[in-house]
Amino acid sequence: MIDVAFQLLSFFIITVKPQDVVANLNVYRPSPEKTNTQETSPAKMIRIQVFPEAFVINDREVSVRQLEALLLKLAEIDKNQTILIMCANAAPHEKLVQVLDICAKEGLSNLSVVSSGGY
Amino acid sequence: MRRQKEEDYLSGNLTAMIDVVFQLIIFFVCTVSMQEKSIDESIHLAMAPHGEVSKDKNPLEINIDVDRNGAISISRQRVTEGTLYSILTKVAAEYGARNVPVIIRGDGKVKHGSVRTVMDACARAGIWKIKISALKEKG
Repeated sequence: MIDVAFQLLSFFIITVKPQDVVANLNVYRPSPEKTNTQETSPAKMIRIQVFPEAFVINDREVSVRQLEALLLKLAEIDKNQTILIMCANAAPHEKLVQVLDICAKEGLSNLSVVSSGGY
Repeated sequence: MRRQKEEDYLSGNLTAMIDVVFQLIIFFVCTVSMQEKSIDESIHLAMAPHGEVSKDKNPLEINIDVDRNGAISISRQRVTEGTLYSILTKVAAEYGARNVPVIIRGDGKVKHGSVRTVMDACARAGIWKIKISALKEKG
C-alpha cells in the first residue's frame, strides 16, 4: 500500500506543471451600428498610436511610463473617455497588449482598436 | 484469539480494498485526456497582469492562434485567411454574430498586421466581440 502511495507521489511530482493564468483583453472594434449613433468629436477623443519603437498619444511621442501616467490622469478625470488605438502593421503584438493592459489597469473601458489602410 | 482472528480478517480485507482504490486512481490519472491538447504551446503570449481572467468558458467561443510567423491556426489546424473568413461566416450565420466570441491568441513577437488580418476577417463576418488572450501570471 505504501509502495502504491509512493508511486502516485512520484507520478505527480514528475508530471505536475504549473499552469499559466490567462487573461482576456476586450478589443472593441467600431461596429456599424455604433458609428451611426455615437459621434464623438476628434478633439475629445484620445488617440494612441502604436509604432514598432514608440507610442504616440495625441501626436506626442511618449515612453511607456509617460503613457501610463497620462492614462492614469485621464482615468481620474473621466473613465468613460473615448480612446482610439491605432496600431502600425509592423508593430509587435505585445505593444498593443501593453496599451490594452494599461487601459484595463486604469479602468478605461471605452476603447476602440481601429485599422486604417496602409497604417 | 477469536477476536484477533476477526481483526486479522477485517484488516486483510481493508488492505486489499485500499490497493484496489489506488489502482483505480492510477488508472484514471493515466487515462484522463488533457483539454490542453488543442492549445498550441509554441505561442508565447504577451504579458498583461491587469487583464480580466475569464471564469466561464463559452462553448461557442472560437480560439484563433497566430504564431510568431503570422500563421493562423484554429485548434492546431492551419487555416488561410479565406478559410478563416468562411468558418467565421458560417458560425455567425448559425449562432448569430453577437453570440460568438472570438479569442485571438497571438504570439507577443508577431507583427500586428497578422493579428489585424484576423480582426478584419471577424469584422467582415460581422463578429465584433473580440478578445485578445494574454498572460496574467506566468506559471
